[in-house]
Amino acid sequence: MNSIPKWLETIRISISKVMAYRLNFLLQIIGPTLVFFFIKYNLWSSIYQGDRTILISGYTLTAMLAYHTWGLVVELLASGFTAMNLSEDIRLGRISTYLIYPFNFWEFHTASFIGFQITQVFIALVTFGAVALSGLIEVPMFTLLVKGFSYTLFISFLWFVMNYGIGLLAFWLEDTWILKVILMVISSFLSGAILPLDLFPAGLVEVLKWTPFPYLSYYPIKIFMGVEPNYLFAIGVMTGWMALITYCNHLVWKKGMKLYTAAGM
Amino acid sequence: MSHLLCLSTFCKKMAEKGQIGQTPAMKNSTALIQANGLTKQFVSYKKEAGLKGTLKGFFNRESVVKTAVGQFDFEVQKGEIIGLLGPNGAGKTTLMKMFTGIIVPSAGELKVLGHNPWERSKDFRKKIALVMGQKSQLWWDIPAMDSFLLLQKYYEINDRDFKQRIDMMSELLDVKKLMHIQIRRLSLGERMKLELMASLLHSPEVLFLDEPTIGLDLVAQENIRQFIINYHKQNQCSIIITSHYMADVQALCQRLTLILDGKKGFDGPLTQFEKILGNEKVVSFTFEKAIDPLLPLWKGLDPKWNELNNQVELRIPENELRKISGQIIEQFPVIDFATEKMPIERVMKTLMNNPKLLSEYNA
Repeated sequence: MNSIPKWLETIRISISKVMAYRLNFLLQIIGPTLVFFFIKYNLWSSIYQGDRTILISGYTLTAMLAYHTWGLVVELLASGFTAMNLSEDIRLGRISTYLIYPFNFWEFHTASFIGFQITQVFIALVTFGAVALSGLIEVPMFTLLVKGFSYTLFISFLWFVMNYGIGLLAFWLEDTWILKVILMVISSFLSGAILPLDLFPAGLVEVLKWTPFPYLSYYPIKIFMGVEPNYLFAIGVMTGWMALITYCNHLVWKKGMKLYTAAGM
Repeated sequence: MSHLLCLSTFCKKMAEKGQIGQTPAMKNSTALIQANGLTKQFVSYKKEAGLKGTLKGFFNRESVVKTAVGQFDFEVQKGEIIGLLGPNGAGKTTLMKMFTGIIVPSAGELKVLGHNPWERSKDFRKKIALVMGQKSQLWWDIPAMDSFLLLQKYYEINDRDFKQRIDMMSELLDVKKLMHIQIRRLSLGERMKLELMASLLHSPEVLFLDEPTIGLDLVAQENIRQFIINYHKQNQCSIIITSHYMADVQALCQRLTLILDGKKGFDGPLTQFEKILGNEKVVSFTFEKAIDPLLPLWKGLDPKWNELNNQVELRIPENELRKISGQIIEQFPVIDFATEKMPIERVMKTLMNNPKLLSEYNA
């Protein structure tokens, strides 16, 4: 119970830190949307050659654009937390400070992540409002919207523990950016962020169901588009992966701490 | 090489089993910090320069084990202020990291406030504080007051104590106006004052200061020192301080521990350290005109003359200080004289250049 005020205050500080640079924050709001329109909108429009009657694996151009527009909202909510530079903190000995405070390192980072997510919800809502006004998506029922947002926020924790684990590998590796990039590329492909999973062979999709990947993009996008999955199964698989990765992170931390040299302190 | 690695692995296993830092003798001690045979070894890998070296190192890495601290015995009692001195790379910071639980010792016994530091229990962390002159602990993008409020929650300080400590320290350090400005906009001296404040909010029982005055101007250094003296007077916490500025040590420490190459070279009162090289005082005299440097009076006083021969530095035995100084003032046109302000600086310089002197002294 004593730790609730510690968590709340850390969340508050985390929000202050994100908002500290106003211009940066503004760019965070409009940046992803601009990138989306420049790349994905133009790319898919030229693939379909602007023809709204062509069907690719059951997707018309309108449906494909709606899929990727929802993909943008999901990405903002689920995997926005890329700023976490755990590996650099470890390599340069910056985590020493956190080791002294009576608030654990993982607690600090998780609370900071929650704070960050609060600002991301705001950014995602603004983006959602903008794309809804542009007519790219159909505005879903309120309950579906709440379900989609809640589900996406849940998967953001899965993203968080995965990134946290990779960051911790800095106890052994000089830098972990290449691992981050590999994870990003693999997951954006296997999660359906680049192509809807409907375009994949059925056998592969069946296997992917047991990995964390499709739950990161494809499932939440589909929820927003009105196709609801078997929530029990989806949440069950995700919780399993989250528990497994969290446990591995715990072991890695314990082993890593014995190697930590606090360089440069 | 291999036996060193074995030793390191053995020690790691001992640490895991909790066999380091558990002797019954230590449990009965009243010392706040007690270390016996404390050792820390680091393993690194050799890499030759150039692309060839990189490729060679990729397939065949040669490890190097460096003993940063070896067989270190140390005790700190309540209320002591101890200066941990030594050249760069001597092992001071490694010791501080072990005392604060940031790194795990390779071997030896260590208790700080009755805890094994590397277990980093929350109870232990609430009783200590660490200030690193070279590293900011306050959050860069937010004002200090926000950081203080966060620390209030972390250390579970009640509102009344928190307010009282903030008022008292901000008054003493004259930082009232700075607490609401983002840390990154402050000067180094201003930031350091706030760092100190942050570390003392929870009234730690042991305070570790790692080069707290590094990079500060003379006035800022003096302010920090004065604050530490006043704070110690009021709170009687134990303080371990590392610094390359002898003025810090002279002003703050009653006891001094010298580390050379990971080993303890000296541990005792400051006054004793000053006399390691003998009971002599260094006195300098300035004369109105040039003086003959070959006079028999200067013999045995190790005179160091300037080029004009109108200034000399002498090493005078303490028991003859009055007599010899009197003679010089009477016989020559002295216009100024001074005894050295910080004998420890001279002692440190001499010992760092010639560490053998210390083994001779210890013998």
